Amino acid sequence: MADSEQDNTDRGDGDNLKSDKLFTLKKWNAVAMWSWDVECDTCAICRVQVMDACLRCQAESKKDFYGRQDCVVVWGECNHSFHYCCMSLWVKQNNRCPLCQQEWSIQRMGK
Amino acid sequence: MITLRGKLKKDGDVSNSKSKEYNKRASVRDKLLVKEVQEMEQTLPSTCQVTFDDPHRLHEFILMIVPDEGYWAGGRFYFQISMSEEYNMAPPKVKCTTKLWHPNISEEGAVCLSILRQNSIDGMGWAPTRKLKDVIWGLNSLFTDLLNFDDPLNRDAAELYLKDKDSFRSKVKDYVRQYAKR
Repeated sequence: MADSEQDNTDRGDGDNLKSDKLFTLKKWNAVAMWSWDVECDTCAICRVQVMDACLRCQAESKKDFYGRQDCVVVWGECNHSFHYCCMSLWVKQNNRCPLCQQEWSIQRMGK
Repeated sequence: MITLRGKLKKDGDVSNSKSKEYNKRASVRDKLLVKEVQEMEQTLPSTCQVTFDDPHRLHEFILMIVPDEGYWAGGRFYFQISMSEEYNMAPPKVKCTTKLWHPNISEEGAVCLSILRQNSIDGMGWAPTRKLKDVIWGLNSLFTDLLNFDDPLNRDAAELYLKDKDSFRSKVKDYVRQYAKR
């Protein structure tokens, strides 16, 4: 908050430029946030993070050869992402993206 | 060679794996419902109330709607809502247990609401991205905003409305007095 107030003053009219510095920056705390680089990071079908195994795979505790849960993410042409398991169950009934109702076609798959 | 013991063993295996499959699906449904029921209760419209007969069975409950405006205001309407183990790939099943005169609800209790349709080509039907709170909102709105005379389930009700709104109104009131008294 304090930073943004200073920002506003600095950007103010020419007055500040001529006069002595009103503020000096003595300390600066940078905060970084991160999120997965996907449009939706939670699968809207099972409501589990797409990077984790889906609710069904968790219930079955399916593991692959390396002992990892083998539950991949699928992206549609509409850029919506889901667990592959969740989406393949749904397209059997209705071949549309359940978020935008567009015809579903796979853009890519993976983690 | 087919032996009785072999056959019994095979049959046993089949039914066992079937019941395992059922439990797995039911557990997925129940996990979804734990969150959805909580969300539904937090966002319940003031005209609605939900009751669970058995708190361990989240997939079966009763919804009571008491509309505060519109033709059905003053009535008390009960809906039985249940989710099969296919939830949320399959929509909830809804039955109206209060007899009423409504174009989108039959006198037998069948409810015509787009989001409750399993297969729909127009994109208005059920999708696994929908939640219980959407179903409650939809049912509640059937008495106001979503009331639709153009695509009726109870044709007689819709026709009466188009012919004579006053007698439609009084027939609704009669039904409310008779079946949906507070």
